[in-house]
Amino acid sequence: MIKLLIEKELKNILLSPKFAATFLVCSILILTSVYIGVQEYHTAVAQYEANQQIATQDIAQATNWGSVRNQVHRKPNPMQVFVSGLHFDVGRVSRISGSQDVKLIRSPYSDETLFALFRFIDLTFIVQVVLSLFAILFTYDAINGERENGTLKLAFANSVSRASYLISKFAGVWIGLIVPLLIPILIALLVTTLMGVPISGGDWASISGFIGLSILYVTFFIGIGLLVSSITRKSSLSFLLLLVIWIGGVLILPRMSVMASGQIVEVESIAQLEAKQEAYQKARWDEYSSTISKTWRERSQEMEGMDEAERQAYRDEREWDWLEEDDAARKQVQLDITDNNRKLIEETMNQKKLQERVAFSLARISPASSFRLAAMNIAGTDIDMKSRYEESMRGYRDDFTAYTQKKQAESGTRNGFNINIDSDSGVKIDFGRDDQTLDTSEMPQYSAPVLTAGSTLSKSVLDFGLLGIFIILTFAGTFVSFLRYDMR
Amino acid sequence: MFKLIFIKELKEILQSSRFTISFAVCSLLIILSFFMGAQNYLSGKAQYEAAKQENYNQIAANTEWMSVNHSIMLPPQPLMALVTGISNDIGRDIEVRGRGELSAQNTRFNDEPIFAIFRFMDLEFIFGVILSLFAIIFAYDAINGEKVSGTLKLCFSNSVSRASFIAGKLAGSFVGLSIALIIPLLIGCALLPVLGVNLSSDEWLRLGIILISGLAYFGLFLALTIGISAMTNKPSNSFLIGLVVWIFAVLITPRASVLISGRMVEVPNVDEITSEKNRYRFQLFADDRPKMADFSVPEGTEPHLVMQEFSKFMNELSEERARKTEIFEEKINEQYINKKRQQERLALSLSRISPTSVFSLATTELAGTSLGLQNRYMDSAQDYQQVYNDFMTEKTGSGGMTGFRMIIRSSDDSGEEPETIDASELPEFEFQKATLSSAANRSLIDLGLLILFNVVFFGGAFFAFLKYDLR
Amino acid sequence: MPNADSSNHNTMETANETIKQAPLLEARNLTKVYEDGVKALDNLNIKVMPGEIYAMLGGNGAGKTTTINIFLDFIQPTSGNAFINGIDSNSDPLEAKKNVAFVSENVQLYPNFTALQNIDFFVRLGGKSNYKRSDYENALTRVGLQSEAFDKKLRDFSKGMRQKCGIAIAILKNAPAILLDEPTSGLDPKAGKEFTKLIGELRDEGKAILMSTHDIFRAKEISDHVGILNNGELVAQRTNAELKGVNLEQLYVEYMAGYMEETNQNLVLTNDLN
Repeated sequence: MIKLLIEKELKNILLSPKFAATFLVCSILILTSVYIGVQEYHTAVAQYEANQQIATQDIAQATNWGSVRNQVHRKPNPMQVFVSGLHFDVGRVSRISGSQDVKLIRSPYSDETLFALFRFIDLTFIVQVVLSLFAILFTYDAINGERENGTLKLAFANSVSRASYLISKFAGVWIGLIVPLLIPILIALLVTTLMGVPISGGDWASISGFIGLSILYVTFFIGIGLLVSSITRKSSLSFLLLLVIWIGGVLILPRMSVMASGQIVEVESIAQLEAKQEAYQKARWDEYSSTISKTWRERSQEMEGMDEAERQAYRDEREWDWLEEDDAARKQVQLDITDNNRKLIEETMNQKKLQERVAFSLARISPASSFRLAAMNIAGTDIDMKSRYEESMRGYRDDFTAYTQKKQAESGTRNGFNINIDSDSGVKIDFGRDDQTLDTSEMPQYSAPVLTAGSTLSKSVLDFGLLGIFIILTFAGTFVSFLRYDMR
Repeated sequence: MFKLIFIKELKEILQSSRFTISFAVCSLLIILSFFMGAQNYLSGKAQYEAAKQENYNQIAANTEWMSVNHSIMLPPQPLMALVTGISNDIGRDIEVRGRGELSAQNTRFNDEPIFAIFRFMDLEFIFGVILSLFAIIFAYDAINGEKVSGTLKLCFSNSVSRASFIAGKLAGSFVGLSIALIIPLLIGCALLPVLGVNLSSDEWLRLGIILISGLAYFGLFLALTIGISAMTNKPSNSFLIGLVVWIFAVLITPRASVLISGRMVEVPNVDEITSEKNRYRFQLFADDRPKMADFSVPEGTEPHLVMQEFSKFMNELSEERARKTEIFEEKINEQYINKKRQQERLALSLSRISPTSVFSLATTELAGTSLGLQNRYMDSAQDYQQVYNDFMTEKTGSGGMTGFRMIIRSSDDSGEEPETIDASELPEFEFQKATLSSAANRSLIDLGLLILFNVVFFGGAFFAFLKYDLR
Repeated sequence: MPNADSSNHNTMETANETIKQAPLLEARNLTKVYEDGVKALDNLNIKVMPGEIYAMLGGNGAGKTTTINIFLDFIQPTSGNAFINGIDSNSDPLEAKKNVAFVSENVQLYPNFTALQNIDFFVRLGGKSNYKRSDYENALTRVGLQSEAFDKKLRDFSKGMRQKCGIAIAILKNAPAILLDEPTSGLDPKAGKEFTKLIGELRDEGKAILMSTHDIFRAKEISDHVGILNNGELVAQRTNAELKGVNLEQLYVEYMAGYMEETNQNLVLTNDLN
């Protein structure tokens, strides 16, 4: 019985213009999007490689370790072809230097505003927005439409159970929607590999996860479509209701939740943060320079009353200690500044995390948000991508500055130049010895943060679970309401 | 006859549940987007003021103008919040130095990626994406629905001309739905001053044109859909066709055009250019080093005179370097900018096939958030740099502090704290918005195209119906 | 009914008595060949005089609806003409349609309008703008619609109720000619009977009525002429008098089955009749 019903559903759907239009639109959208994504990815990789080369060239040009300008880049991620997430919005390069905090700047969109004007549409968007719309188109009249046609009566004039009818209805629609989704995706994957995007084993796992997620998401919308169709009598009404649900869930709720959380939780802007950092830094250096000049004054006071030779001897004897003392003080300042920066960043970060939590909790009322968040987590283009990168870059910065300091100490060169002003000998500018070339082979190399499958899983499990719950709810609701459906 | 059909159409729309539900949703959306925009603007403004104050405090704590670190910020504007355009994608903060190339950093979406995930719900989005979809939902069965229900036959069993019927239909549905949109739009506008967002008369005018072009955009989708309805026999088919057209116009064409222009016009890598500039600066400094090493003053000169001499010497060198750098950068930028402009022009021309891009371009241009925003901001910043340079030169004797800053503290034994500077002397940065006339000028082509699309689609619907099979 | 109507009525009646007048509906050598080559009408000739009911009988695709569509200018004839009150409905459709009212098979009005709103719109569209609400109500009562339904939206109406509204519109338009396309299909016997009665009244007022129908018995009961169409051809035409005692059903079936008129010699060829 079920087989017959499913067969009828499938035939009914596969032969309908709805199906043809869905298939056509999905294929065009998915293939264009992935093609554009692959092109973008290749450009990004080319840029990334060129930049790395430039960075090494720049380092090679430097003549002493103190003047090395190092910068590291965010590595393009093959998954961004499918789930661009925040890739285009987050900066892609950070300067690595002892005196500056790590900060990703120059997002792809800020460099190429043209692309920001008409944003890139990735597979996630297509599934989230377009496929959910098609799911509604497939289901809004699934039950009440058959009632209006009279086919429902006709079918139930036979010994057909409501359950099997519903199951076959679902199966038919499900296959009718999943096919136009899966076939272009599989072709797109083939195109992606053929076009030379390196997809690792982990990426394949992510892709399967993403496909599974998409199927869950579409299933949810089929569920809600059937539900609404089974609680209304007229297909025109269910269509409108579903459209309202779609607009609310897909377009409005996610945006509104973010805006609401922005109102609820205040977060300082980066400009404010930086101004605070800078104020502290300046105050700290001022304090340092006044203490150091006090120290110098004290030292010269100690020498008061000595003649020139005694003074020289005194000085020679203590010079090393003094230097060390001054150096330690300077290092302490740097340490304090770094600590303070970290503290300030942490405070802001905590506020931001709170804001995110509020926003995402609100947004997750809509499965569209769950889908999006999970997709980004799977792909590694999620909201934590920035902090993940900045964290790992900070680690690298520490290694790098330690290394350059060690190298500098070894070679005895300093950064820049030294100006000596002496009332006797006047001004002397000393550049130290630095006509050497640097051996960069031992320099620490930056490696991008790696997401473990475990962490990805734990981050997206909530959204998978939520989608599952939503699906169960809609299906249970449909089942119950269809069992009591007035067939007339 | 026209009037009769017009009024019937109006009544029919207003009495349908389709209208009631969509009207409720649209009103909610529109008012919400105004509300969110206003809130967004206000919190952005508060942030801006706070950052500005922080910057001021930080400057005021200095004892010498030499050591000032000054940043300027892009001031938020009400229209920016209502039509975001690229305003969230460009750097907002610029650290100003007297000489040298400025760079804007901290884009909103980079700083607050949470907003980038789901993006904002601005007027451009509401009109461009949602209301155009609503237009399709409203009108997909305008003609063929009447055919299916038989009312078309009944109407034309009377002495009714096709022309007056379709004209009444087009006008009736447009006016009916526009009124439904105008009400929440006006409420939204009224909400702005209530929430504390005060627009200048210039901005009201811009907003007015934006809303009118929004209605025109809505109208063209309406006419397009009625046209589709007048070329098909089944409402389900016209809805599907409308949807496909919508997907292409709203989602695909704008992006595809950018992609195509990206393929056709090769723009040099930004990072390469930056690195080239860096290398040049580095080289200039290296060239100056022997000169610096040779610096000497006659023996026995007073130390503070030595210092004066030395900073004058260093300043001269750095001025010279800054001049050379500027020339070099200008040359290298010009080529880059030309290529970029060419790419933009091509992309925008291609994208204008779609009314959605035309609408986006027109509104962002009027709101001042189109591609030109970045250039205008940088131009304003450069003008300010000049002012700042003059100011600093007056204060410190040197404005060009490219990569080198020397602070000399003469320490006397008094141990007294040196006095801080008066930061209020610093000239204010003023962002030069595009004037209304220039914005109107630049959006003229898009506004014109919008009208043209309207004419074509209304005309198309009209003529399609003249040939429609009424049976 | 307003005054204009009754005076009109009177002139019609007197005209009817003097017999010699022009037909209100006339199909003259109508031929329609669709683009796909299907011949929907083949040299059709029909005349409907004032105060006459002409019933077109025929199976699906016989050309009945095509004929009505040509009268209403929904399609153009390949050759021949359709005249309403002497006006060629294809060369001057707007003028011609002033003289005709139309009731379609399974009347569907605007579902979001009430009965009165629908009637108001369509009657105004028919060029009558001086009616009052009470006139509408009278017409609706005359066609047998319960007064509770007057202000209900059409989407809640049954088929019979909608049909009544359609007839009320036609009555109110008060055109000399009326076209009915399968007016009784799907109506219950009681409603069908009421409908027949109404049509008869209209005929007595002097209207010329052309209706297409499957309902042989009703056609025989009320029509003055019956024409049988098969594949676009008028294969037989009888006056009411000629049908007395004739088994119309048998006649119909025979013609549908392709029997030629010779099998029944007391029947005359259609074309000879004119």
